[in-house]
Amino acid sequence: MEQTFTRSKKERKPRSWLVILDYVYYAAIVGALGGLAYYLYQYRDTIALFLPTLLAGAGLTIFLSVSSIILATIFGFIGALGRLSRFAPFRTIAAIYVEVIRGIPILVQLFAWAFGIRFVLEQVGFDPYTIAFNFMTLLQSNSLMPSPFVFNAVFYGIIGLSFNYGAYLTEVFRTGIESVPIGQKEAGLSLGLNSRQIMRRIVLPQAFRITIPPFANYFITLVQDSALLSTIGGVLELQQLTTAAATASASNANLQLFFYIFGAMLFFFICYPLALLARFLESRLGAGY
Amino acid sequence: MDFSIIQQALPDFLVGARNTIIYCAVSFPLALLLGLVLALMGSSRFIWLRGPARIYIEIIRSTPFIAQIFLIYYGLSTILFNISNSLGITNLAVFVNGWTAGIAALAINYAAYEAEVFRAGFLSVEHGQTEAALSLGLTSQQNFFRIVLPQAVPLMIPPFVNDLIYMLKDSAIVSVIAGLELTAVLDTWRVRNGSNTIPLFLLAMALYLALSLPTSYIARWYERKLRAAL
Repeated sequence: MEQTFTRSKKERKPRSWLVILDYVYYAAIVGALGGLAYYLYQYRDTIALFLPTLLAGAGLTIFLSVSSIILATIFGFIGALGRLSRFAPFRTIAAIYVEVIRGIPILVQLFAWAFGIRFVLEQVGFDPYTIAFNFMTLLQSNSLMPSPFVFNAVFYGIIGLSFNYGAYLTEVFRTGIESVPIGQKEAGLSLGLNSRQIMRRIVLPQAFRITIPPFANYFITLVQDSALLSTIGGVLELQQLTTAAATASASNANLQLFFYIFGAMLFFFICYPLALLARFLESRLGAGY
Repeated sequence: MDFSIIQQALPDFLVGARNTIIYCAVSFPLALLLGLVLALMGSSRFIWLRGPARIYIEIIRSTPFIAQIFLIYYGLSTILFNISNSLGITNLAVFVNGWTAGIAALAINYAAYEAEVFRAGFLSVEHGQTEAALSLGLTSQQNFFRIVLPQAVPLMIPPFVNDLIYMLKDSAIVSVIAGLELTAVLDTWRVRNGSNTIPLFLLAMALYLALSLPTSYIARWYERKLRAAL
């Protein structure tokens, strides 16, 4: 008798003849992967020649991204504290920071740091290279310093990226802190904790968990936006090296195309695992407690 | 710092801002259209429709926009040249320029993001609505166009406006190819006036803010209204 109520799998979802195309699709996937492998195999000499350089560029991309996200976290944390401050001037300054930065393209900001603010600061007498060089001299290892051009480009690149992402992280941290229910604060107060203890021991640990998924997403876009540093010159990250290699081979259009494809592939290999990680974190932590 | 340069630069910058608006105004509807197609493909029951949409979205979202724009500008012209060479027709690569490549790159990139917005919007309409429509005898097409879509659109407008603002900012990257929008104008003026760049940057930033801030305020106002209505 039970069988009358359980329907077979076939009955539940009528199979369309279009399902045949699924197998065509699988075949196409295999074909496309094979084609890609063959395409790369054709350029194996070029890959062997350029891969070490490009991987070094990828390393610099990761270094830039990690140092920028650390600095951006500091900017974002200060910004969030400003936005949640009791003092109106702090709130206004933080709000202006967020609104202005989020309304301007990051490319324009990077230009402004590298070609505008940098020269103004140099006229005032602030040169990050000299400071770093003197510091390294104190450590008796100033031969490790790169050239002034490269060092300043990387320095202002990191500053530009982190100043931009600090504005986005301000909002992430603010919403994270605000998402902790007010009852938690009240419970802390009634237990006799002062406001600093409540922030450190009750609010921040809970807000931290909520902010991780958006934070991870912003880190991925930061890795991608670090490619924009190729436009200011001097930062030898992945996109800069890709563009340089492609431009140098402009007489051979197919080779030029190959460099752009290969550079994009390397970026994909950096960003896609991070995207998977971010999605995993989102499914684990997104719901909060 | 000599701020009188702003007066000389303003006409050029306004042309650049106009071009930025044109880029967005053309690319965004294209991105919406392509995104809708991708979202519908992605919700199909056939893997030969779902798979390509998924692969497209993952690849686009995991590569930097600047890499895509170079790839389209230089790569597409190479591919078109090869095709027209082998077919023996006129060189199709002449059609690849700052306008076409920039608009195509923006549309292709943003389609992947809009597809996710569409998908989330469709999912946010309760399944009970679909069940009710089907039990009333509507076909699945009627259900989609008359029941699901009208309810999903108001929810999708805020993320769309958000993405429009992002596109406004990302259109700056078109300046790395031959796109003549605001950032490209800024760049030429910056190179010409190496010692007096700060006013130029301030002018460009002010123009970008004049474009993006009102849009974001309208979006926020609409979102508040929407939340009150729900």
